[in-house]
Amino acid sequence: MTIHKTCDGVRRRDFLQIGATGIAGVNLAGYLSMAQADELAASQGKNAIFVNLPGGPSHMDTFDLKPDAPVEFRGTFNPIKTNVAGIEISEHLPKLAQCADKYVVLRGVSHTLGAHRLGSEYVNTGNRPLASLEYPGYGAVVTKELTQSSKIADVPPFVAIPRSAQQAGFLGVQYAPLNTGATPRPGQPFSVRGVTLGNGLTVNEVTKRQNLLTDLDTVFKKAEQNNQLLKGMNEFDKQARAMITSKAAREAFDINREPESYAKKFGTTPFGMSCLLATRLVGAGVKFVTVSYGGWDTHRDNFTTLKTRQLPAFDQGLAALFTGLAEKGLLESTVVYVTGEFGRTPKINTRTAEGGRDHYPRCMFMLLAGGGIQGGQVIGKSDAKATAPADAGISPDDVAATFYQAMGIDHTKEYHSGTGRPITIVRNGTPIKQAFA
Amino acid sequence: MKSRFLIFVGLMMGLSLIAVSLEAVDTVPPLPSRFSDANIDEVPDFQKHVVPLLSRLGCNGRACHGSFQGRGDFRLSLFGYDFAADFKELNDPDSPRIDTADSEDSLLLTMPTDADIHGGGKRFDPAGWEYRVLHNWIQGGAAFDGDNVAKLTRLEISPTEIQFSATGEAEQLTVVAVWQDGLREDVTPLVRFTTNDDVIAAVDENGLITAGSGTGDTHVVVAYDKAVVPIPVLRAVGKLAGRRYPKVETPTRVDELVVEKLRKLGIVPAALSTDAEFLRRLSLDLTGTLPTATAVEDFLADTSKDKRSKKIDALLETPAYAAWWATKLCDFTGNNDQQLTNTSPVRNAPGEIWYRWIEQRLAKNMPYDELAAGIILATSRKPNQSYVDYCKEMTELHGDDRDHKISQMETMPYYWARREFRNPPERAISFAYAFMGIRIQCAQCHKHPFDVWSKQDFAEFSSFFSGVVFGNTPVGEDRTVYQNMLKDLGISKLRGGELRRELTNKIRAGETVPFPMLYTRAPRKVDENGRSSGSPLQEASILGGNVVRFERGQDVREPLMQWLRSKENPYFAKAFVNRVWANYFNVGIVDPPDDLSLANPPSNAALLDYLTQGFLDHDFDIKWLQREIINSRTYQLSWQTNETNQADDRNFSHQVPRRLPAEVTVDAIAMATASDQEAQRLHAEMKGRAISIASSSERFLQGNNSATFGLMVFGRSTRESSCECDRSDDPTLLQTVYLQNDQDVYRLLDRRNTGWLYQVSQENKWAMTGVGRANNSSNSTSKKPPANYAQLMQSLEKRIAYSRKQGNAALVKSLQERRRMYVQRFGPPNSADQEEPVEDNSNDENIVRRVLGADEIVKQAYLRTLSRYPNEQELAKCVKYINESEDTINGVRGVLWALLNTKEFVVNH
Repeated sequence: MTIHKTCDGVRRRDFLQIGATGIAGVNLAGYLSMAQADELAASQGKNAIFVNLPGGPSHMDTFDLKPDAPVEFRGTFNPIKTNVAGIEISEHLPKLAQCADKYVVLRGVSHTLGAHRLGSEYVNTGNRPLASLEYPGYGAVVTKELTQSSKIADVPPFVAIPRSAQQAGFLGVQYAPLNTGATPRPGQPFSVRGVTLGNGLTVNEVTKRQNLLTDLDTVFKKAEQNNQLLKGMNEFDKQARAMITSKAAREAFDINREPESYAKKFGTTPFGMSCLLATRLVGAGVKFVTVSYGGWDTHRDNFTTLKTRQLPAFDQGLAALFTGLAEKGLLESTVVYVTGEFGRTPKINTRTAEGGRDHYPRCMFMLLAGGGIQGGQVIGKSDAKATAPADAGISPDDVAATFYQAMGIDHTKEYHSGTGRPITIVRNGTPIKQAFA
Repeated sequence: MKSRFLIFVGLMMGLSLIAVSLEAVDTVPPLPSRFSDANIDEVPDFQKHVVPLLSRLGCNGRACHGSFQGRGDFRLSLFGYDFAADFKELNDPDSPRIDTADSEDSLLLTMPTDADIHGGGKRFDPAGWEYRVLHNWIQGGAAFDGDNVAKLTRLEISPTEIQFSATGEAEQLTVVAVWQDGLREDVTPLVRFTTNDDVIAAVDENGLITAGSGTGDTHVVVAYDKAVVPIPVLRAVGKLAGRRYPKVETPTRVDELVVEKLRKLGIVPAALSTDAEFLRRLSLDLTGTLPTATAVEDFLADTSKDKRSKKIDALLETPAYAAWWATKLCDFTGNNDQQLTNTSPVRNAPGEIWYRWIEQRLAKNMPYDELAAGIILATSRKPNQSYVDYCKEMTELHGDDRDHKISQMETMPYYWARREFRNPPERAISFAYAFMGIRIQCAQCHKHPFDVWSKQDFAEFSSFFSGVVFGNTPVGEDRTVYQNMLKDLGISKLRGGELRRELTNKIRAGETVPFPMLYTRAPRKVDENGRSSGSPLQEASILGGNVVRFERGQDVREPLMQWLRSKENPYFAKAFVNRVWANYFNVGIVDPPDDLSLANPPSNAALLDYLTQGFLDHDFDIKWLQREIINSRTYQLSWQTNETNQADDRNFSHQVPRRLPAEVTVDAIAMATASDQEAQRLHAEMKGRAISIASSSERFLQGNNSATFGLMVFGRSTRESSCECDRSDDPTLLQTVYLQNDQDVYRLLDRRNTGWLYQVSQENKWAMTGVGRANNSSNSTSKKPPANYAQLMQSLEKRIAYSRKQGNAALVKSLQERRRMYVQRFGPPNSADQEEPVEDNSNDENIVRRVLGADEIVKQAYLRTLSRYPNEQELAKCVKYINESEDTINGVRGVLWALLNTKEFVVNH
């Protein structure tokens, strides 16, 4: 096996043993993380749902309206009251307005990467992208930290509906998501490639084949004890068999098993159905689910696009996700994180008659909920025209640190990249205390 | 072996670091003994003593003041080689750490001796020698002369090699620094010691090495000042080391060198692999391709003595050889489609040109240095070629007969075009990785912990790459030509994406369009922050070694290439040799193969030197290198181990089972499930082969379509980050799920016309029925045929014959389609006779029926998946499975499925 060293010359597998009293003496980073230990121990998050909004949704037309700004900024949408006194959001989010007590609105989140790909990497990893390193997405880190590889689970730990910007990066492909590849449709059976049996195969038939496989796969038997690769493949074989033939795995993806009264809240849009599936998967033991809902890149016809295409489905699906999780008693243990890669220019462009908004990372919104995060509050503030944070601002790194704290994961923990370079889970973030108060 | 290696180290550094036995002539004793006297008035030296002592005390560690943010507003250089910066920080006027007027009050002394106020705890005792060293330096004026840094000539380390025989044995290292002025000092307590494998040997901060529980060999690395020296530590595995070692066959020089090392360790190599194992391993390793069933049978039947080397020669001439190695060269040169977006008006063309250009040259066996020069010294325009002519030529290149035109291209410019590798430091890192097999990125921020390079060396090396520019628009007078071209095309007003789209349309319409191009200019100085400043550079050194003076108008890459391909270059040939070796043995002679650093010495230096020298003597002949390695007995050993070599994973005493690379896996599934004819075709032409896919990137692999999903699952290199780790050969759950139950695998199993199952069904007139069919829907399940089925089919046949006679092709087609549907649903009308040719076998009561030819079918299934014949039990189990299947073809399907899912299939061994 490959030996990887850190810049301190400490090999990866030595790291835990050395700890606080090794050759380098007291490890200060260790001290610091001990101070955090209480907060981590208090965390309640066990699963997470990450709702990604690729394209970059306009903050000014959704969760950060500026009705008093000049007309070339403010746009045509009006704010409405929510079920929390003092919090107002867009009139096109009426259902989300009725459950504002469930989530935190972060305003004045700010960064500097105005290209889709780079911005997306930033908000999906919590680290500003580097050319020489592929950071793992949240889901990969959560999978690594919160699952035990030795335990045979019949549901996959990390599912992406339908696919995700969050990849395993340097952690390795074993932490990559299982992509559903499609979004469920109302009234139709839903299956996922590889996991659920298709093609007319029966459990009986597969079991027969697997028995034959057991009979034939004997050449390496003697070598298996001394060989990591062969041992690992045996483990995965057991897990794969469990997953493929398991009723639990099949049923986890079968949204038709949800009661009609529960399912109908989500609506019949692809996004709504994805949210429904996400809540079902989390209930079945999946650790991390990403839901992707694109179409937010509203350079032209911003208002019509939002009003007619984007926001109705978003409002219904996401509101149902919050209330649905609460109804099932899962919101306490499930952290929900909603974000696009950036906000949009406060000043409306005039390229089309109606006007559009362009990429704008300097000021954006994010939502957090569940897992001990106290909903019903707004944290952070943008200036009068929503062009910049009004205070110090919140960085994507801070939100990342907050997310990991809610999940009970020490965001200062170090991993080692393939070249042995030491990398902390979140390089620059500090958890936002107010989110938990 | 030992001294050879160390001399090589010395040459590399321009220093001479020779480990010889310690002669205590005029050697200054170590600091602890000198400073044990409380009244000593010696003033120690900042570079030689103070900084290394701070290292030993852990002050400049990464978690403490060596962190890039520092700690407690105090920052030291990581690993302490930036003397000037450290000195400045200690004297920071805002918060000085030293007070020469009142030395005892210096924070450098008060903080680390007081656990209450020092965040890092108490580091040393006020009564100890460490305190006195720091104190005397401060009291003596806290001097450091940045302009006169002392030069270390060598480290003399004793002993030079350590052999242990039992756990718990210990050996003390002594390290003497010899400075340029002739001064010798015992610096053992100031040295940084690390072990490369603490299971074999542990080392403490005083240089005491203790034998661990493991056997085998490793190195303890000694680092002081600029020097990094590995000391081999070895513990024999059994009682067979040395004179008791049995006689072992060593037909080639490679074998001799491998066994020389094994003899020292008492490790006896495995037996020779079987012919079947050899053929499968060779085909997969050398050509990325599973052998066909016929090829296996032919090879096993061949009785000639030299059939193995003949096979090697034959496979080296196959198109798959060039395709597979082009993939490998694209990996380490970084052919990434995302990095190449917008570098050509034709999307994806740059990546394809990159791949094809390499593939064609590998097929012709172009010498490696020429191939590398074609990439490194690439230019877009030929000398004196006008911009318009260049654009014409490129436009034509994207028309018909592209392959031929690529074969005419002298150089391949897209290596320099990658978007995230356009600033000099990123280029320096990727260049060092690709062509030198080293990781210099550490030196971007601090002295390299495992080698001699400093930040300064890195910055100078980076400046070489500031002289290459890849731009969308030409410079100088050609800018007007460019703008006129756009005007003539009627698109001069367009910008950005709109312009690119229009250019694509124009070139599709056959018009000549402007192309981006690569050009060179005078290199600029690159500072430690990676910024290149305005003034042209006069000279720079290559990683602290050769100083290159730049002449006006010279292409800065030329001296670099000259240096690379010179016989003395320590990296270029060696890195390639090592990568090729790693392809065949799971690990490199230096491993990981992209980490040729001083602290990571080769497991068998003599072997690496021999192959490197031979490669140079044969003028970088790649096929010579391949032959030299795979004709060795060492390569052809079995994977089955004996008592002495079962724990060995770095001395090549047996073959190591390893998962097939992603492309090879995907191709192997397609090959194993292919009909005989299709398998032939997949060997002869590379169309549709995964090993001939040009592009890769994280994004490309996320595509989730059939072409890339399997590649993603099995970890094809993303070619993102200048690291071998961009490729993953680790097993994962998703891989097993994929092999057992993915639609891709089902589709391949059941494909019509080109599939083996289909071939079997046709040959035996069995219906392609049964569960597991990819294209089936509810109608696929076998249903009871209607009572008049035979009649119905008969009349259908008649109608087909009649329509054919009438020349009604459309009707024939539609009737045939109907017949196909019937057969698919109910089987052929006479299937009852065909499918169940029951033979009474009264000898075996368990077998209720026997499918004729099942033995042969199982044999064929084994040949096409595991490249061997089944043994008796395997044959019996599979035949029984088929016989017991209600539906014969489904029984065969189950057997093929099971074989694809054995570890033996996906593990090369």
